[in-house]
Amino acid sequence: MTVNNMADPRRPNKIFRYKPPNTETNPTLEDPTPDYMNLLGMIFSMCGLMLKLKWCAWIAVYCSFISFANSRSSEDTKQMMSSFIISDISSTQRNPQM
Amino acid sequence: MKYFYLCVSIILSELYLILKLGRYNDDFDDGEDIAEFDDNDFAEFEDVSEDPAVDVEKEPPPRAAPSSTPIEDDEDEATVENEDGQDEFEDADDQDMYSKYDNEEFEGYEKTNPSFKNTLIYREVPAHLQNSWESYYMEILMVTGLLAYIMNYIIGKNKNSRLAQAWFNSHRELLESNFALVGDDGTSKEATSTGKLNQENEHIYNLWCSGRVCCEGMLIQLKFLKRQDLLNVLARMMRPACDQVQVKVTLNDEDMDTFVFAVGSRKAMARLQKEMQDLSEFCGDKPKSGAKYGVPESLSILSEMGEVTDGVMDNKMVHYLTSHAEKIESIHFSDQFSGPKVMQEEGQPLKLPETKKTLLFTFNVPGMGNTSPKDMDSLLPLMNMVIYSIDKVRKLRLNREGKQKADRNRARVEENFLKQTHTQRQEAAQTRREEKKRAEKERIMNEEDPDRQRRLEEAAQRREQKKLEKKQMKMKQIKVKAM
Repeated sequence: MTVNNMADPRRPNKIFRYKPPNTETNPTLEDPTPDYMNLLGMIFSMCGLMLKLKWCAWIAVYCSFISFANSRSSEDTKQMMSSFIISDISSTQRNPQM
Repeated sequence: MKYFYLCVSIILSELYLILKLGRYNDDFDDGEDIAEFDDNDFAEFEDVSEDPAVDVEKEPPPRAAPSSTPIEDDEDEATVENEDGQDEFEDADDQDMYSKYDNEEFEGYEKTNPSFKNTLIYREVPAHLQNSWESYYMEILMVTGLLAYIMNYIIGKNKNSRLAQAWFNSHRELLESNFALVGDDGTSKEATSTGKLNQENEHIYNLWCSGRVCCEGMLIQLKFLKRQDLLNVLARMMRPACDQVQVKVTLNDEDMDTFVFAVGSRKAMARLQKEMQDLSEFCGDKPKSGAKYGVPESLSILSEMGEVTDGVMDNKMVHYLTSHAEKIESIHFSDQFSGPKVMQEEGQPLKLPETKKTLLFTFNVPGMGNTSPKDMDSLLPLMNMVIYSIDKVRKLRLNREGKQKADRNRARVEENFLKQTHTQRQEAAQTRREEKKRAEKERIMNEEDPDRQRRLEEAAQRREQKKLEKKQMKMKQIKVKAM
């Protein structure tokens, strides 16, 4: 005996709105990857720029790509773009050191 | 929009790289021109009167300036003479003096006196000045890697999107027949069904359903694998994982009796018992094998008391579990659900965590990562099981004994919690009292009128006196009772 046979289980008067889960109270639910990768990307790009190490800059580009791929849709695209461009530019600087 | 930004920035960076390469090549070409000595050695000497240093390939060491000119002439003559023949050069008397010079000049020089052409030493042009593809192998490698990453991102994102859509298409009918609101992102003013999934990520999709008898709402989360991240794809080659569908049904207080129950794969049960606050507190015993209740051995059961297990595991439920055992990761019914244990930095939290009556289902999508949209249809019976469970839990009521036991358990847990936090709560109360006193004193001090000050002080003193008296009375009463 299924419920559908007896009556419609839907109750339009009992609707509750969707509330996004509060991530402050549940830090374990959040995925920290994009934040870590963003930070690493910034650090490597600064290192690459200051110490003139090309490999640092390339790693920074990769880090910013990974951070972008793992990021949440709600996050600001502009910030991601800025870190991406910084690491990109520092990697294309011409210098002989590897 | 995101694609657009990504493509634009990639194109810009590549253009920049190419421009820089181009400019560099131009510089290099000029350098090469200068380096070409082969055909014009002698022409150069004839044109320029005093510059032996131009011929850098030659070895003669730079001597003092005065002697340079005759030596240059000598060299000129020497070269000319050498061209003709060495005998002539040796015979002439005039030449003797110069030959001596020559010999002295060319002390470290090879005696064979090779022609100028042979004395040219071709130095190796440093790698970073070479105009060949080899010197850019690092850049080429990196750019290839990046392109591969971008390709994987696009392919993975599309696959996840298709899987999500396939799941929704196969489940839409069932959901719409059971819930008044299917799909809500919480932002619109009116509660109307959006009829589509919320995309939280490139690999996580949400769906909120509400408006049904027996429950407050149901949140379905499609947690796919991170197919858009190449690193994750490579990691999965080492450690296979599968997509998951998580269903969380929140219930009203009257919809569920007080019990805690869980069934699932053995690994999952062991993990949940350690992680989950309510399971660790109320289901202290080790997970029991499902074979006792007619379900496959691979499933194990955690329960607050036997009566609950008997109540939940009726024939239909057993049938569901048996036929879909490999897809079930965990099923968790609890009236004390508060999520996983929270590790606080300052020690134990001062208040009991908030609980909510919840049914949690975690299903594994078949295919172990290599899922196709068709596999989503096989999850439909599991959603039927979810709906059935919601109705069942509403009807399931414990008998008197069971209820008493459940209440005792909850009281015990609360007591334990209070004991553990006793000292901390005492400290907190103490600090609060001190704060109050300090605030009062400040108020008294800030009073400008001395009369009012005096009066307030007296009032405070009287209050303290009363408190002390009360305490003393209590102590006396306790003593009397003890006696």
